[in-house]
Amino acid sequence: MNIIAEQIAEFLKKYAPFNQLTSGELAEIASNIRVVSLEKKQTLFKFNDPLHDSFYVVASGVVNISVIADAEESITNKCHEGTIFGLRPFFAKNNYKVTAKAREESLVYAIPIAVFKPLLANNSEVLNFLLENFASNLPEDRSTQGNIVSDGFYSEKQSEAQFFQTLAYNTTPLLATSDNTAQEVAQLMAESLKNNVIIFERNGPIGIVTHADLASKIATGRYPVHTQVSNIMSSPVVTVLENVSLAEAQLLMLKNNVTHLCVTIDGTDKSPIKGVISEHDLIAAQASNPGVLIKEIKRSLSANELKEIRSRLTNLIQSSIQKNIPLTHITNIASEINFAILKRAVELSILELGSPPARFAWLSIGSQGRKEQLLLTDQDSILVFEDVAQDKYIEVKDYFLNLGKKTTSILEKIGYKLCPHGHMGSNMMWCKSLSDWIKQYNNWMNTTRDNTENLSSIFFDYELVIGEQKIETAINKIVFENAYNNTLFFDFLGNDALRKNSPLSFFKKFIVEEEGIHKDKFDIKTRAIMPLVDSARLFALSYEIKGINNTYTRFKQLAIADPKHSEIYLNCAEAYLFLTKIRTLEGLKNEDSGQYINLEELSKIDREKLKNALMPMKELEELIKDKFQLTQFS
Amino acid sequence: MLDWLKNINKEHPEFWKEYLAKFSKKSNRYVILSTESTGDSLEKDVITYISAFAVVDNAILIKDSFETILLQYRFLHDNHLSNEYIIESKLLKLSEPEALKAFVEYLGNSIIVGHEVEKDVEMLNATLERMDCGKLRNEALDIDIMHRKLNDLPEEKEFSLQELTESYHIQNTTNDSVTEKAYNIALLFLKLKFKLGLK
Repeated sequence: MNIIAEQIAEFLKKYAPFNQLTSGELAEIASNIRVVSLEKKQTLFKFNDPLHDSFYVVASGVVNISVIADAEESITNKCHEGTIFGLRPFFAKNNYKVTAKAREESLVYAIPIAVFKPLLANNSEVLNFLLENFASNLPEDRSTQGNIVSDGFYSEKQSEAQFFQTLAYNTTPLLATSDNTAQEVAQLMAESLKNNVIIFERNGPIGIVTHADLASKIATGRYPVHTQVSNIMSSPVVTVLENVSLAEAQLLMLKNNVTHLCVTIDGTDKSPIKGVISEHDLIAAQASNPGVLIKEIKRSLSANELKEIRSRLTNLIQSSIQKNIPLTHITNIASEINFAILKRAVELSILELGSPPARFAWLSIGSQGRKEQLLLTDQDSILVFEDVAQDKYIEVKDYFLNLGKKTTSILEKIGYKLCPHGHMGSNMMWCKSLSDWIKQYNNWMNTTRDNTENLSSIFFDYELVIGEQKIETAINKIVFENAYNNTLFFDFLGNDALRKNSPLSFFKKFIVEEEGIHKDKFDIKTRAIMPLVDSARLFALSYEIKGINNTYTRFKQLAIADPKHSEIYLNCAEAYLFLTKIRTLEGLKNEDSGQYINLEELSKIDREKLKNALMPMKELEELIKDKFQLTQFS
Repeated sequence: MLDWLKNINKEHPEFWKEYLAKFSKKSNRYVILSTESTGDSLEKDVITYISAFAVVDNAILIKDSFETILLQYRFLHDNHLSNEYIIESKLLKLSEPEALKAFVEYLGNSIIVGHEVEKDVEMLNATLERMDCGKLRNEALDIDIMHRKLNDLPEEKEFSLQELTESYHIQNTTNDSVTEKAYNIALLFLKLKFKLGLK
């Protein structure tokens, strides 16, 4: 075995199912491998190609597995390093049902089936692993026709299977006998925060009491509080077998018009009680549902759990965009979930550090503050704490700095990169007492000229994540007081907004990056989106539009506040949405921040649309120059 | 001047005749070659290590590889060098004639690919001449030249293997052995071959 084969064996050993093989078997596989290099966009095999004599493992890069449904290519799987794919030759004889295409320059190892198959006989675990992978990698195998993308807020992998998945439900239900009183039962429910009690006799459940029963029968005065529970219970209770599927449970509830099902050993009401299924359990089973995500965030106890939830949010965003749900809705939902994650991250840090010694506010700034974060971009935040007595100051500041550091590192683990400019609550500069912050804003806005080096416009988009609302209000007040008729300050912001390089050349061609790793790509963030964001902020401040941070809604509000130019604002609002959509799609495709767009990958129509979306900015630019008479900083 | 006359009646070894016979057919196999020598001189220096991988149908075949250490007793002895480290390793070790015979058999009529392949081939030819064989008849491709052709670069500009692997985003392996070099050249070749549209 030569050194390359050894290296390949070492590589394979890290991943399932190879980690279950002996080193001898691995060596045998490694020395029979063929190494295939794929250029970006190169196809390894496509739909209806005859089967290859091997299956594949990604050695480096990413390979996209896609299916063609309704003449549209949709990606069903992204194979990263160590992922196996192309297992079809193991289990089927007909042609490939999917297309495998390299998303970037990739290297794949082809493992000949003839070499691998004998190993399966001795390793049932490996066989099972492959079978499972085959089943989950190729959803279209269950239904060769029809759209793969399912409806609802979940990715296709779960969509069909989930109706057959078993439910997790409460296996320790509250129990009472029929001679308990209604009050006792209500007490029991209040103590354990459950909304139902099963009433049982010797050989099984005879009824159920829920919140609804108490409300409609006791609270209305139809029965006294001390009545026997048998008078108010709903009976008989609908009983089901253990391991009932989601679909079945749903149907039973609809059919019997009930909100709870009682689980018994043999599914009849004559056998011992095993648990109770509530409507809530059904919702929870549909994992990537926004409400459920938020609930899970609130319960989660570690950065890893949050990370997993954040990745489900990405799936949700992706499938929502594919289903043409308006971007404004998606952004709203995504930012609510993002905020819940941020909030939980701060809470987790507090849990670790103990309760804070003073009231404080953790504010998100920048894109998070504007609630425009669809992709995992940088985290930006500031921390404001209330003023404390001089002798406590150091101690308090220490605590909050620690809090900042803990939180940012949790967020980093979740996947929000640290801000390269250090605009975070963990930074000495941006973790200050309220009076220091007021001083800071005063300096920035009144003596703008002397304070440009650490002034960034993102400090004027802030949103409370957790803490005292009053602190945010105080900052709001100071900002708008200072902004009033502050020519110099607007001058700075105006120049800042227009300083970004123009997106189109004189001949209406896109100006692309000339060098670096993003050569020939279009920087949509700095050239197209940021000018709109900056100008929206500038106008919002000058028209004193408070409490709205989102660029899209800011433009909408401006159209009302300044009806003379409403058309320009509305165009900008639409353009902003379109640009964000393009960026988000690109970001989801490449799993990055989507800052750089590969123009060649866009369809001709999209390219034209993109060009048109850059036009409103031109008009807005004139408007800014006209209104603010930019001179001082230009 | 009349060198070729000297050779005309010379009897070649058997394996060489077989080698020549293979050229009646055209090959679709590439042999990616990397060698190590004691120096650049064709007379004084000798090959110490040969490593090669085959590429067929745009894939590197790990199994179809060649790797051997040449035990150059004479050279080491002449230069008062020790060879105990070589002896220690587990790799296949052959004497110069055996190694060359095995390599020529492995090579067959395939197309040779290398980095600065001319040097490799010259060195091999010089060694083969000592064994009463002729020169290698294989076509040889140089990834350096392929790279220049792809990017329209001037002839005199040369690129080290390091530079090439970097510009094609090939992950560098930790060690720097001849076999790894051969493997990297093979990866480069696959990329260049695709980009140049070679069949």
